[in-house]
Amino acid sequence: MSCRVKPEGSLAVNRRNRLWLFLHERLGLDALEGLASKKRVPIHRCTPFYYLGGMALFLFLIQIATGILLSVYYKPSPDQAFESVRAIETEIQFGWLIRSAHSWSANLLVGVLLLHLLTTYMARSYRQPREVTWLTGVALMGLFMAFGFSGYLLPWNELAFFATRVGTAIVGRIPGFGSQLLLLARGGENVTGDTLARFYALHVVVFPLSTVVLLGAHLFLVQKHGMSVPDREADRLGGAGKLPSMPFVPHFLLRDMVGWYVALGLLAALAALFPWELGEKADPFGSAPEGIKPEWYFLFMFQTLKLLPAHVGPFEGEVVGVLAFGFSGLVVLLVPFLDRGPRTRRALNVLATLAVGFFIIMTAWGWFPAADHSALRIILISLLTLIVLTLLLPFTDRRTAIRQSLCGVLALCALVLLAAVGWELMK
Amino acid sequence: MTKSPKQLVIRFALLAMAFAGQAAQRGWAQSNGERPSALPADYSCSICHQREGELWSEVTPVAEENDLADDIHWLKGLRCHDCHGGSPSLAEFKNHRDDPSFRTLTSPADIPAFCGHCHSSIDTMRKYNPSARTDQEAEYWTSGHGRRLKASVEEDNGQPDTAVATCIDCHGSHGILAVNNVNSPVFPIHVAETCAHCHADETLMAGRSYHDRPLGNEQYQQWRESVHARALLENGNQSAPTCNDCHGNHGAMPPGVNSVANACGTCHGKIASLFAEATMKHQFENVGLPGCATCHGSHLITQPSDNMLGMESAAVCVNCHNPDNPKYGATLAGAESARTMRARLEQLKQEINDAETTVQEAERLGMEVHGPRFDLRQAFDALTNARTQVHTFKPGPLDAALDNGLKVTADVKRRAEDVLWQHTYRRLWLAASLVPILLVVGLLLLYIRTLPTSASTGYEE
Repeated sequence: MSCRVKPEGSLAVNRRNRLWLFLHERLGLDALEGLASKKRVPIHRCTPFYYLGGMALFLFLIQIATGILLSVYYKPSPDQAFESVRAIETEIQFGWLIRSAHSWSANLLVGVLLLHLLTTYMARSYRQPREVTWLTGVALMGLFMAFGFSGYLLPWNELAFFATRVGTAIVGRIPGFGSQLLLLARGGENVTGDTLARFYALHVVVFPLSTVVLLGAHLFLVQKHGMSVPDREADRLGGAGKLPSMPFVPHFLLRDMVGWYVALGLLAALAALFPWELGEKADPFGSAPEGIKPEWYFLFMFQTLKLLPAHVGPFEGEVVGVLAFGFSGLVVLLVPFLDRGPRTRRALNVLATLAVGFFIIMTAWGWFPAADHSALRIILISLLTLIVLTLLLPFTDRRTAIRQSLCGVLALCALVLLAAVGWELMK
Repeated sequence: MTKSPKQLVIRFALLAMAFAGQAAQRGWAQSNGERPSALPADYSCSICHQREGELWSEVTPVAEENDLADDIHWLKGLRCHDCHGGSPSLAEFKNHRDDPSFRTLTSPADIPAFCGHCHSSIDTMRKYNPSARTDQEAEYWTSGHGRRLKASVEEDNGQPDTAVATCIDCHGSHGILAVNNVNSPVFPIHVAETCAHCHADETLMAGRSYHDRPLGNEQYQQWRESVHARALLENGNQSAPTCNDCHGNHGAMPPGVNSVANACGTCHGKIASLFAEATMKHQFENVGLPGCATCHGSHLITQPSDNMLGMESAAVCVNCHNPDNPKYGATLAGAESARTMRARLEQLKQEINDAETTVQEAERLGMEVHGPRFDLRQAFDALTNARTQVHTFKPGPLDAALDNGLKVTADVKRRAEDVLWQHTYRRLWLAASLVPILLVVGLLLLYIRTLPTSASTGYEE
């Protein structure tokens, strides 16, 4: 059934070129247009947090574009993987840029997603009827971490090889079906070419398809339920119905685009100034090099498992650690169903504060494990704490005791950061 | 004939008892730290030569079974009478003097033939070790030791020189370990120590000479400080040479003046072949200089370095090609060649160093330079090859090797510099790309400011 454009129900036809008209008639773009013109974004203190989702989407698109370009030259076999990545870096025009952009955008994406998850939790955007939106979001978070884990091995370099060996060994510690899961992950008892092949298949086929499905569901649900407004903001502005808002197109979209361009500039700077290292080719028969570590977003788990004693009570330390992280992940997933009232909410907030603090400290410790790196550790801890505490500012009212306390803690963090930087520079 | 079940049971019980008895006896012997005796009770040698033997006395030589336990001959199943002859059975025993089959050992000069009884017999050795050589005895008599022993017997009214080494001085007598046993005195790491028992003994070596030159007793100490001893004893490289690798095993003898290069060439084959074709070799032979040892020394051979080449004070060329005091007919043209070769070597080393520095700089900046770094190895190979070519004593072959290296360093340096330029280029590219990005961001922000504000429209979740 063809859809004729009604001059009175849409933008004037004389403003459009013929191609637009052609598409309009055949694809029913007027429905989308109508949707876009109706969609509005609430304006309040936490509105900037809405840009995080768009920025994550933009970085994901960069991942797809650069990933497709890399797959043209990448060869997923132990004999050729490292050499092909080296060729991409040295022989292919702008190959270095594509690889660095892919690696950096992957890390930025996980960082943005973590902030998105945290601000969504702070704003309690998981409330009814958005429980499924939260579930798809947490699943996407897990999926992107799996993207990172599988992609880390693909260059087949020494660091990635041994980090994957350690990482998959942790999977093997899961009680009950750990050994089967280990075999499934590695494609055998050891990390070999079979592991590389299945990691590649997961990275370029399984995970992207799963992401498209989950992301589609997530975006549909966001569209269906609209932007969530924090209770405090709705109350402050006299109820949800009285909230000021702006049209999604062009007001919010243009602001989103500013963020995308800033991310693009940051990505270009990181790729050009800090090219992603390739390291040495993996030698499966060699001994593990010093300082192997996974991607930064797995560091907190890696460091915790390193610190755990061999036995915690009657159980193996690693098993306890793996179970604890699995349980924590489950709690994060089920937050919308655990938040049953002010008491459980308070308990969840305490747990979330502890979890974020734990994540920050363990990540800093894992990043700078040497005993003489304590100043660097403090720098990273205070920097991450500053970022997280800044996210809390929009949730507090001006001239209140809580805002003043928060500002005090922020100032203290900044002071510690400056002192640690100064100490490190003077050494 | 069929047996009844009762008979079968009795037979089985008897067998089990016999087995248990044997096992118990073996277990008892082992629990007391004793091995089960390999000799029959009526073994004639035990009667006199074991301390608990019936006829043993203080003057009788002792050969206990325990001493022989790890002896290679004993392990192969050979017993006293297989080496010493005579009858092993008490019933057939004859006094040694009256038994023509008994092999008497009256002096060290008898030992080579005593061991050679088996070790020179192809038929005998084939039974135990088909690939074993059988010329050790013959070789021994051609060695410095053998010749001295023979001469002493012939010249001193049949009185052998008892200080001269024979088979047992190196291998031991009873309790001879296999040569590949790490505890054997002739295992590579112990050879020098074994030789040093005699050759480092000042008293024993006093007055002894070879080709009218005193033997001296400093060889072991000198070798211990050599690059070869370090490789063997500190680095565990068992292919590193010890005494027997240059002097021979059973035919041990210092290599002659003209044979030194052949001894060194056993391992340093490439250098030996270059030296063999060099005119310098003939010059050395003509004036009686001992080839390689002339520059590198004999026992105290240290790690060679480029400083040995040229006309500087540390160089060895200057020893003969000294313009003020030339020796052995050494020429000034030779001095010039040495100087040129050294300068060229230094040039390649400098170029390698420059290329390495450029590659390191690129690495420090996080750039990918695996390729140039890998190729730089070829320059090191060329340098090694050039150092080898020094032994032709001609600048020509050395130049050819150096030129290959210089080509590699030039190529590596160019590629590393390209990578450094890439690094700068990326920054320029970044600056150029940031300009339009920031421009678009600025324009967007300006455009956003022009958009009509639409507050108070009301928002419905």
